[in-house]
Amino acid sequence: MKGLLEFMGIEPERYQTAWISGSEGNKFQEVMHKLVDDVTTLGPNRKLRYVK
Amino acid sequence: MMEITKQIKDIARQLFEEKKIDLFLAWEKSDFDFQSMPFFARGVEDVDKIIFDEFSIHNLSNALLRFRDGKERIGIVVKGCDSRGIVRLLEDHQFTRDRLHIVGVCCPGMKDPLKAFRNESGFEKNIDTDLSADKCKDCIQPNPVIYDVLLGEEQPVPLQGERFLKVKEMEALTPDEKYKFWEDTLSTCIRCYACRQACVACNCRTCIFDESRPQWVGRESEVSDNMMYHIIRAFHMTGRCIECGECERVCPVNIPLMLLNQKLIKDVDNYFGPFDAGLKYEEGAKPPLSKYRENDPDDFL
Repeated sequence: MKGLLEFMGIEPERYQTAWISGSEGNKFQEVMHKLVDDVTTLGPNRKLRYVK
Repeated sequence: MMEITKQIKDIARQLFEEKKIDLFLAWEKSDFDFQSMPFFARGVEDVDKIIFDEFSIHNLSNALLRFRDGKERIGIVVKGCDSRGIVRLLEDHQFTRDRLHIVGVCCPGMKDPLKAFRNESGFEKNIDTDLSADKCKDCIQPNPVIYDVLLGEEQPVPLQGERFLKVKEMEALTPDEKYKFWEDTLSTCIRCYACRQACVACNCRTCIFDESRPQWVGRESEVSDNMMYHIIRAFHMTGRCIECGECERVCPVNIPLMLLNQKLIKDVDNYFGPFDAGLKYEEGAKPPLSKYRENDPDDFL
């Protein structure tokens, strides 16, 4: 899935997957912070959108 | 080809006379010299129409899906790629082997009727002398992998040079360049779903794109919905695509769908060890994405 999205031109940082168990609160926090930071750096998404 | 046609006719006639089959799937000649059509023979009287020539490009294993609920015993003529389609159907339990009588033909490569038609039309300025179909140039399996009778001489693999060359070229581009390419290409899609209908691996009874409650993907043919459609279609074909190239052939707006499919074939090959869909039929064997293993790579999602 990630490979396909990259192939279609979506930045790899925009779509991330992680394996987090219900008991791993800290890891969840870290992953979410990283995701938000990555996406903020990229800026708003203009792809896969309907542009009138 | 004449010889093979004659052999196919003999086999079909014999099978009908012995009452071993109810239906025989092959081709017949259409009004044009450069076009053959899929043909369902239902009795000895139909056998004379059967033909196999260089324009018998269609993947007949897809037609088997129409009979999956019936009890007909079916004779079918397959080329290399079509036979992989049959293996896929058997693996997915869409068909049972004992209902099939498979006549395998070693395929010397087919010609594209559309190219021939363009040459004939008088509108084309640059006449294409090489009529061979694009899908046959990337073929890795010209000889049938499953059959009861094998006709013709075994053919060498037509693929010259490196596999997945176009995919690798595409991967080297930047995200924006890639997106531009796909945006341009997929904005032409008219959502006729011909690629879905022609595909032997697309064998769900209820398709996600037909459902209206909930409606997963919009019906409008504009870029975002088209992209959604093509991403989902390609992803559903992961580990199932047999590279018969029918989707690309039937596409009325020439979207390079095999580029998407080959990208995923390459990924599956990369993540789940050497694997090509439908190359070999084993009872009970499952393709990588149909079963869970503990060492499945996480990156694939």
